[in-house]
Amino acid sequence: MSKWSFKYINWRLKTAYPDGWKYAIKHPVIFINDLWNYIKWCQNIENEVK
Amino acid sequence: MLEIKIGNIEFCSPVIASSGTFGYGDEVKSFVDIGKLGGIVTKSITSEPRLGNLNPRILESESGMLNAIGLANIGVNEFCDKKIPLINTLNTSIIVSVAGSTIEDYVNVVKKIENTNGNHIGYEINISCPNTRKGGVEFGKDSDMTLKLTKSIRSLTNKLLIIKLSPNVTSIENIALAAEKGGADAISAINTVVGMAIDINTQKYKLSNKYGGLSGPAIRPIAIANVHKIFNVVSIPVIGIGGVRNSDDVIEFMLAGASLVQVGTMNYLNPAVGVEISADLIKHCRNKNISDISKIIGKVHNAK
Repeated sequence: MSKWSFKYINWRLKTAYPDGWKYAIKHPVIFINDLWNYIKWCQNIENEVK
Repeated sequence: MLEIKIGNIEFCSPVIASSGTFGYGDEVKSFVDIGKLGGIVTKSITSEPRLGNLNPRILESESGMLNAIGLANIGVNEFCDKKIPLINTLNTSIIVSVAGSTIEDYVNVVKKIENTNGNHIGYEINISCPNTRKGGVEFGKDSDMTLKLTKSIRSLTNKLLIIKLSPNVTSIENIALAAEKGGADAISAINTVVGMAIDINTQKYKLSNKYGGLSGPAIRPIAIANVHKIFNVVSIPVIGIGGVRNSDDVIEFMLAGASLVQVGTMNYLNPAVGVEISADLIKHCRNKNISDISKIIGKVHNAK
């Protein structure tokens, strides 16, 4: 995750939902919850790989 | 050292980015040195644009990811107009993934792409997506349909033709044999494993589509076994897919019989993982005195 560039984060957010950023803005609670789960998942997988 | 040849195509590395995890290929070039990848398989293209399934359509799970994106894509017309010119500028091998509900759908997509001046090296025919209600998964479960579909597409193109198989079948060997008989140049296996998650508090499905496809390290042993089974029965190359995390996993797939290996879910964690794995593979080959990585393909089949 430390290697994520802004361009990468922007691309992932745009492609995460059917209507991209609009969905994240309209549903901030769902978006934050999803983001939290995603980051937690990334950390878990990263730890497993190590 | 890492070069692998399939047909008359030479891949600079056995590591390829799998469909649905790397966009159409052009989006990632600003943050990944794609020239060091063996290639990229694009998102699956359908004859009409698709928004995909409603949210929620991705769920994180233990050692994996459950997704029901539903083949969201821009459709073949926009792909030909806007993406092909961008793909032509990329310094890696591009394989176009194609999906559909009927043979005519697949034929229509391949025909339109063949009529462009695309530099893509081939097609990966997705007959195994579990996330579309009328989706190609029906083809992937029926060897006669697989044969018919493969023949139809073979007649349209001389480019590399790869058939992507589902693990959600009784005998993956029979489907692989049908694809080979139909004229496929390679088999890729496996697509995601059908899964489901239920919210115990609301007592509702967690995915809008109810079912999803499980990918990631959790499915790697299933994928290795399927690659091993397919390698036993076909004479065309096998491309391994399923839960690859690092160079050790790529070696494991190659020993089981994979000529190339696709990296998927791990791209969500680190988009440069494929490039890093390729670099690690060079180190592995040097440490083990392997001058040509293709020599290890299927080597486990000689073991007692």
